[in-house]
Amino acid sequence: MTRIPGQPKPQSYLQTSPKTAPAATPATSRTAPPKTPFAAQAKKPQTSDWRIGDLMVCVMARLLADGERVFHGVASHLPMIAMALARKLHAPNLVCLNIPGGVNPPSVHKASFSSAGADLLSGAEAYFPLDQIFDLSMRGGLDVAFLSGAQFDMHGNVNNSVIGSYRNPKVRLPGGAGSAVLIPTARKVILWRTRHDRRTFVEKVDFVTTRGNVWKVVTPLCVFGVKDGRLQLESVHPTSSLREVEENTGFPLKYGDVVYTPPPTPQELAALRQVDPHDYRMKEFKN
Amino acid sequence: MATSAFASRPKSRSKLVPLEEAAAMVRDGDLLALGGNVLHRAPMAFVRELIRQGKRRLGVVKTAGAHDIDLMCAAGCVETVNAGFVSYETEFGLARHYRKAVESGEVRVNEHACYTVISALRAAASGAPFMPVAGFRNTDLIRENGDFRVIPDPFGGEPVTVVRAIVPDWAVIHVQEADETGNAVIHGPKYEDVLMSRAARKVIVTAERIVGAGHWQRQPTLVDIPGFLVEAVVHAPRGAAPGSCDRMYDADLVALAKFMKLERSDIPAYVAQYERADRSARKAVIRI
Repeated sequence: MTRIPGQPKPQSYLQTSPKTAPAATPATSRTAPPKTPFAAQAKKPQTSDWRIGDLMVCVMARLLADGERVFHGVASHLPMIAMALARKLHAPNLVCLNIPGGVNPPSVHKASFSSAGADLLSGAEAYFPLDQIFDLSMRGGLDVAFLSGAQFDMHGNVNNSVIGSYRNPKVRLPGGAGSAVLIPTARKVILWRTRHDRRTFVEKVDFVTTRGNVWKVVTPLCVFGVKDGRLQLESVHPTSSLREVEENTGFPLKYGDVVYTPPPTPQELAALRQVDPHDYRMKEFKN
Repeated sequence: MATSAFASRPKSRSKLVPLEEAAAMVRDGDLLALGGNVLHRAPMAFVRELIRQGKRRLGVVKTAGAHDIDLMCAAGCVETVNAGFVSYETEFGLARHYRKAVESGEVRVNEHACYTVISALRAAASGAPFMPVAGFRNTDLIRENGDFRVIPDPFGGEPVTVVRAIVPDWAVIHVQEADETGNAVIHGPKYEDVLMSRAARKVIVTAERIVGAGHWQRQPTLVDIPGFLVEAVVHAPRGAAPGSCDRMYDADLVALAKFMKLERSDIPAYVAQYERADRSARKAVIRI
C-alpha cells in the first residue's frame, strides 16, 4: 500500500495482509543497546499469513502470566479469546473470570454475539459471578482486567460515557460498565480498542469515566505501555509504521526503544484457530 | 411427587396471575430493577406489556442492559436509567433509541459503574442508607451523579466514596422455573437477580415453566427467590425472547437485526406482534 506523505492514511489495518511495506520504519532506538527481547528484531517481520485481529489477540495473550486471575466483561470478544489462548499456550494455570461467573470456561465457541452469556458458565470449573469478581478486585485480588473505551488520552484517562458535555451530550456512549472500579483497583489493566485514530486517542478526553492502573494499551497499530503516568509507545505492529501511529494519535508520542511487535507465531496461529474456530475475533472490527 | 407428610399441609395462596394483571400493578413513576444481563434472560414479555399498557416516567435499575432499556426508551416509558452499561455488545452495537432519548434530554442517566449498582442494591437489601465503594475514585461520575459522595472515613482512614441505596419499587425477574407461590429457580448465570429480589420492595417473577407445589422441598437450597418475597407469578414461555434464556432458547438474532432498523413510530406495531405470544399462557398453566 503506497501512501502520500503528510496525508492522513486510510486505516489499513482492516486489510488482510498488506503486500507492500509502509514507508516509514519504526526502528528508532534512542538509547543504547536493546534491553528487551522485542528489540532483538532487526528486520520487519513477515505480515502475510495473519490478520490484525490475530495479532491483537496474540499480543493480549502474551501479556498474561501463568497463574494470574484475569477478568473480561461485556462486548469483549478479543480479551475472551486472548485469555483462552493464553491458557492453552503458556499459562495453563490462568484463572479466567467473566460476568456470567464461569471460572475457566472450557470453550468460547458458543460466545458468538455476547461475551456475557450462559455458555461461558456451562462446563466451567466453578461459579464466581460478577459481584464477587468486583469484591475480589476491591480487596486487591484481581491481577488483570481487560477494559475498553471510546476515548483515551496520554495520561491514561478513559472515557466511555459521553462525547460532548455530560448533561447535554453529543453522543451518549454505553457507559464504562465495571471500568470505574476495576481500572483503579485491578493490579494491571489492559486496554484495547479495534480502532486507532485521532477521535479515539485524543489530547484530552471529554469525560473521565475512570483512570488508574493502566498497564498496556493494545490497538490495531501499536502497543502502548505506561511510564511516569504517561502512555509511551512500546511497539509498532509490522503492518503499521511509526508515522502511521503518529498521524493517528491526537497527543504527542513519547517513546524510547520502539520495535516491531513480534507477529503471531505458527504455534500461536494454530492454537488460535482451535480456540476460536468461528473467527469471533474479527467481530469487533466490523463497527 | 408430594409425599403424604407434605400433603396434609394447607395449600398456600396462588400468586399466579396473567401477564396483563402483573404489569398493571406497576404504576407510572415506579422504579424497576430488571433481571438478566444484556441480551440474556431479561424480562422482555413483561417489558412489552408495560409498553402496551402505556406506562410513563418509569425508572430502571440494572448493571448492564440492552434490548429491555432500549425498547422502553423507544416507547417513551422511561424517565431515568441507573446503569453501568447500555448496549447490545459487539454484534449490534449501541442502543440507538436509548442513545437518542438521552441525547434529546428525554431520558436522564445516572451512570454508575456496574459495581456501584450492586453496592446501591446491597445497601437497599440490608436496610442501610448508603454503602461504601472501595476503589470508586478518579472518576467524573462522582461529580455528575448525585447518588455518590466522598466522605471522611469515620475510623481515620482515607476518604471513601459512598453510594446512596437504590430501593426499587419492583424487581422483575424472568426465571426458568417457579411455583404458584413464587418460589423461583434460576438456571445458569444468576447475574444480579437474587440481590434485586432482596433489594426491591416487591418482586414479580415471570417464568418459562410453572412447577407443582413442593417441587423443591427435597432440595430447598436450590430456590433462588423464596415465594414469601414474591408478589405475583406469571407464566411467560419465551418471556426473555428475542434475548436468550439458558437451557430454553438462544437469542433470536434475526428478530433483533430486524428491530435494529425500526424507528420509534414502529414500536407499537413491534410490541403488538408479540402480544398474542406474550399473553398466550394465561390460561394454559402447566402443572407438573
